[in-house]
Amino acid sequence: MRTDIHPMGTLALVGFLLAGASTAHAAPNTFNTALPVAEGQSIWREQLVLRERSDSGPMDRKVSVQALGSVLAYGVTPKLAVFGVVPYFFNKELDVTTPMGRINRDTGGIGDVSIFGRYTAYQDDFIGGTFRIAPFLGVTAPTGDDNDRDRFGELPRPLQAGDGAWDGFGGVVTTYQTLQYQVDAQLLYRENGRHDGFARGDETHFDASLQYRIWPRSLESVSGTPGFVYALLESNLVHRERDEAGSSTDANSGGTQWLLAPGLQYISRRWVVEGTVQLPVAEDPNGDAIADDYIVRVGFRRNF
Amino acid sequence: MFTRLSLLLAGLIFSVAALAADNQYVLGVKGLACPFCAYGIEKRLNKVDGVTDIQVDIGDGVVRVTLQEGKTFTEEQADQAVKEAGFTLHSFSRAEGEPGGNDAY
Repeated sequence: MRTDIHPMGTLALVGFLLAGASTAHAAPNTFNTALPVAEGQSIWREQLVLRERSDSGPMDRKVSVQALGSVLAYGVTPKLAVFGVVPYFFNKELDVTTPMGRINRDTGGIGDVSIFGRYTAYQDDFIGGTFRIAPFLGVTAPTGDDNDRDRFGELPRPLQAGDGAWDGFGGVVTTYQTLQYQVDAQLLYRENGRHDGFARGDETHFDASLQYRIWPRSLESVSGTPGFVYALLESNLVHRERDEAGSSTDANSGGTQWLLAPGLQYISRRWVVEGTVQLPVAEDPNGDAIADDYIVRVGFRRNF
Repeated sequence: MFTRLSLLLAGLIFSVAALAADNQYVLGVKGLACPFCAYGIEKRLNKVDGVTDIQVDIGDGVVRVTLQEGKTFTEEQADQAVKEAGFTLHSFSRAEGEPGGNDAY
């Protein structure tokens, strides 16, 4: 019996980590922004991701992931920034009912590392705000372990920390920011490579975010550079193709899901502290592919 | 004696204030809308020779730059630093309203 985890496996998680863990300035919690990284400036970000998935089928699968996304951004020029993203899995755990009873399988370690560049293609600055459009392009290297084993044998491919393949991704992000609020939107496409006859389904992400300043209530009587507190509402629409194994596709993998993510963000000159919870509001998995229950993201950013 | 010391102290304060005002420039910056952004501008401006203090007023989109006595700060330098931070220089003037070149872009 296959104890595979079909959709939203490692790479989907890496994609989420990538989308959420690569950013600068006031920015969404779950994806990127078009705001600049100053020339010669570096931004360090850490984001803890807690993800729970389950199904209600006969196998009663439950998948838990505790991971940390580490990001370093560097401003090469005022328009070009480069990002490195390193996911680390404290634990990826599968509980599943089998003819042998309820079993648990788990793994951990460094996942697949990503590097990408983002270029500001359009910039319209005005007093108290800006509108920008920035395409980005990157690669994910097979740095994670893709052949981990336990007492039951080799772990299912989606449970592995890495997928063993080089992957590419690209897209565009746009940002409209004022002193009162910020709106971001991103379109990202990820093409997952093939390794040992297996390829995870390619992904398309459409993300949007509204960040509204809730403190200070007004800037009229405030001087200098006070800290801001934003309330956020983010939307993540994710479509993933079916996995490919050999010459066929896995009918029980991939699908489409839409998540909404309320959150909070505190921003100062040097620090950002943030938290959000992604909740599925609509899901259309293929076959009996497993679905998300929720994703929690908590993290910080520091510029230097 | 007390009167003389008071006058001396007042004169000293006035001199310091005059020097500070003479070496202060006011930059209007477009695109500046969050605290985290301000640090990028501060970092670039701090690379200008002689800069001793930078004050960012994010609500007004204004950056006040103070330089050491005898140092100068040109509009070209300001424009370059703001561009390197990823923003746009809107206006440039010496403190107290003395124009230092084109006031608007």
